[in-house]
Amino acid sequence: MLSYILRRIVATLPVMAIVALFVFSLLYIAPGDPAVVIAGDQASPEDVERIRQSLGLDRPFLVQFGSWVWRILHGDLGTSIFTNLPVSAMIGQRLGPTLSLMIVTLLLTVVVAVPLGVVAAWKAGSLIDRVIMGFAVFGFSLPVFVVGYMLAYIFALELEWLPVQGYTPLSSGFWPWLENLILPAVALGCVYIALVARITRAAMLEVLQQDYIRTAKAKGLGQGGILFIHALKNAAVPIVTVIGIGIALLIGGAVVTESVFAIPGLGRLTIDAILRRDYPVIQGIVLLFSFVYVLVNLMIDVVYTLVDPRIRY
Amino acid sequence: MDRRTVLKGLAGAGGLALTGGLSAPAIAQGAAARTLRFVPQANLANFDPIWGTQYVVRNAAAMVWDTLYGIDSSLKPQRQMVESEEVTDDGTTWTFKLRSGLKFHDGEPVLSKDVVASLTRWSARDPMGLMIKALQQELTAVDDRTFKWVLKQPFPKMLYALAKNNSPCGFIMPERIAQTDPFKQITDYVGSGPMKFVKGEWVPGAKAVFEKFADYVPRQEKASWLAGGKQMQLDRIEWIVMPDPATAAAALQNGEVDWWENPIADLVPVLKKNKNISVDIGDPLGNIGSFRMNHLFAPFNDVRARRAVLMALSQEDYMRAIVGDDTALWKPLPGFFTPETPLYSEVGGEILKGKRDFDAAKKLLAESGYSGQPVTCIVAQDQPITKAMGDVTADLLKKLGMNVDFVATDWGTVGSRRAQKTPPGQGGWNMFHTWHAGADCINPAPYTAIRANGDKAWFGWPNSPGTEKEVASWFEAKSLDEEKAAIGRLNKAALDDVVYAPTGFFLSYTAWRKNVSGVTKGPLPFFWGVSKSA
Repeated sequence: MLSYILRRIVATLPVMAIVALFVFSLLYIAPGDPAVVIAGDQASPEDVERIRQSLGLDRPFLVQFGSWVWRILHGDLGTSIFTNLPVSAMIGQRLGPTLSLMIVTLLLTVVVAVPLGVVAAWKAGSLIDRVIMGFAVFGFSLPVFVVGYMLAYIFALELEWLPVQGYTPLSSGFWPWLENLILPAVALGCVYIALVARITRAAMLEVLQQDYIRTAKAKGLGQGGILFIHALKNAAVPIVTVIGIGIALLIGGAVVTESVFAIPGLGRLTIDAILRRDYPVIQGIVLLFSFVYVLVNLMIDVVYTLVDPRIRY
Repeated sequence: MDRRTVLKGLAGAGGLALTGGLSAPAIAQGAAARTLRFVPQANLANFDPIWGTQYVVRNAAAMVWDTLYGIDSSLKPQRQMVESEEVTDDGTTWTFKLRSGLKFHDGEPVLSKDVVASLTRWSARDPMGLMIKALQQELTAVDDRTFKWVLKQPFPKMLYALAKNNSPCGFIMPERIAQTDPFKQITDYVGSGPMKFVKGEWVPGAKAVFEKFADYVPRQEKASWLAGGKQMQLDRIEWIVMPDPATAAAALQNGEVDWWENPIADLVPVLKKNKNISVDIGDPLGNIGSFRMNHLFAPFNDVRARRAVLMALSQEDYMRAIVGDDTALWKPLPGFFTPETPLYSEVGGEILKGKRDFDAAKKLLAESGYSGQPVTCIVAQDQPITKAMGDVTADLLKKLGMNVDFVATDWGTVGSRRAQKTPPGQGGWNMFHTWHAGADCINPAPYTAIRANGDKAWFGWPNSPGTEKEVASWFEAKSLDEEKAAIGRLNKAALDDVVYAPTGFFLSYTAWRKNVSGVTKGPLPFFWGVSKSA
């Protein structure tokens, strides 16, 4: 297993390099010039050109790419064109809020969606099942920003229970940290709760038809034991897969959620960087996201072996 | 026990083991009252007011760096860091003396050498600075508090240049910082203004923090815009960047922020209904909407085509698209200069007044030789103002019988594409939309968009010798009457040649919690004199 994990990690390097080259090329050919944005409306074409030169943007594509790769190999993600701050420091500043949002959302998803899916499967065809699946369809259909605004209106403006925006680091206390994350996590989690609940239900339904479940019932095993020990463990592979994919998808969802709730995370940094054509920042974030995607896939594969001993690499 | 306490308790039970306690850092009520949370118009993505000229950078810089002179609410330059100035009778040698006791945030005194280095860097980037630099014989420090600027010929608008509020302003930095190449960004943010920038708390794109500078020496006069005594009542100002207007509105209503610089028109009615919020016009100098036509290529290389557009253009359509139905927020503008300022003029503005004449416009357009070729209109969809204007223009041109190639894109792309001088079919353009701060349109000095010197002009590259002649007349004018006369002629020449199409004058609101006092109307948010009660 260890050699398998090492091989997978090594295999990520070319994937990340290809993604980086692709993104770098895409940005290079895309319209838009950071020097123009920096120079502002008053600038002359000569001013813009001087800024372009000072940023190294006048150099040929391959030189720029080569220099970037060289820096990456030396552990340097470069410097933001706009803030003049190291990209690694900027990503570091924004990692905490995004990670926090993802963790809370994921916990919320697992805690709510899995039991809902299990119950819906157990009561398949009943009113409870229909209500749960109805909510799932509802949650899946609503865009994150609509849910976000609704939650902010009800819980922040009307009831004044929770703040509408911002982020407080965990070092400032658990409640201040969580307080800022509840609404965005619920908004972001709605889609994933719906998705995971539906997948859980489907997987459980399949498992509940199996002979060994019937045997367990015949032996008089309790309902909880059948559902959560025998059935859920055997239905876990698709559930783990969809949760894993969800982690990757959360990165995309975080972009909208962070904007709606003014959370200073990586999603907002990405949008800001793209709109300004802040190439080094975009490249740094893409590398990070690529790594996360690859890592999540690896973790899913490892978890498979834990929940299903038949799977071996 | 209220519901919020219950929620806190529930969450706390779960997190107790992790954190070892529940309590948030206690902020004394007095300290909270001396901290102002402000939502700026845009993200403070960089912090060098000479290198980057965005308004948001200028607004933050005005707290951190002081200027030699400051423009006041009557648009006149007043002494700020300067104690006195002398100019020789021939107008070529200016000698300035600094006020005593001025200090930088690092405790070092402000010396003439700092001023010389700062003005040298500023004059390499600022349009007026470049004009002075072209006339410069020498700029030298005479002693620690005195410096001299010797010119080859007089520059009557010297004090205005040093006081003006449009970017880049003549901010004074320590010599070691000001020696940075003007095309490279500074990384040290030491100034001598009333607030210090807290670099350690800066999260570009999210938050910027400023703290009161205890050793700042304000002037004794009453503060008036960038002039007078900049007395800080606040200890700390936090700029919280909020990309989503709805979130900013909710945060203001909720009391999570204290002042929102520019609420969008759609949300103003909601804010006005809230008894805890004050809403008022933020900047009385407002903004001038603009769509620029490319003078290099057909059809707008022919003045008849440009005039045809002016004949048909309804400023009311543009203004209602931008600010909605609140008629207090806009007015027609048959000219180029900011209404209710000393040089405002409507001379030659008839073409923009009265009923819109589509028949005459179509006739004139046909005379220009327009024969249905595509007109490339580049529109930034991520800017509500330009998006609204772009939609109105597309409709207008279609009604005129023009074949509109509507290129919906983002501001970053418009910003680079508008600099292309290639034909529209080869990556160039025929028109784009923008707007100009009214503060930048009070006279020709800061007004880049009115210049019509061909290749050297702003995007669209208008070539109007009549306009340029009157710009020069204004610079040479020695009295207000002479200035007004020059501006009248300039307004007419620019409209005759359609340097660009003004789409109207519009204002915007600013909103703050009622426990904040001292908010003044101006072209930028002024924090001196602002206080906050608990």
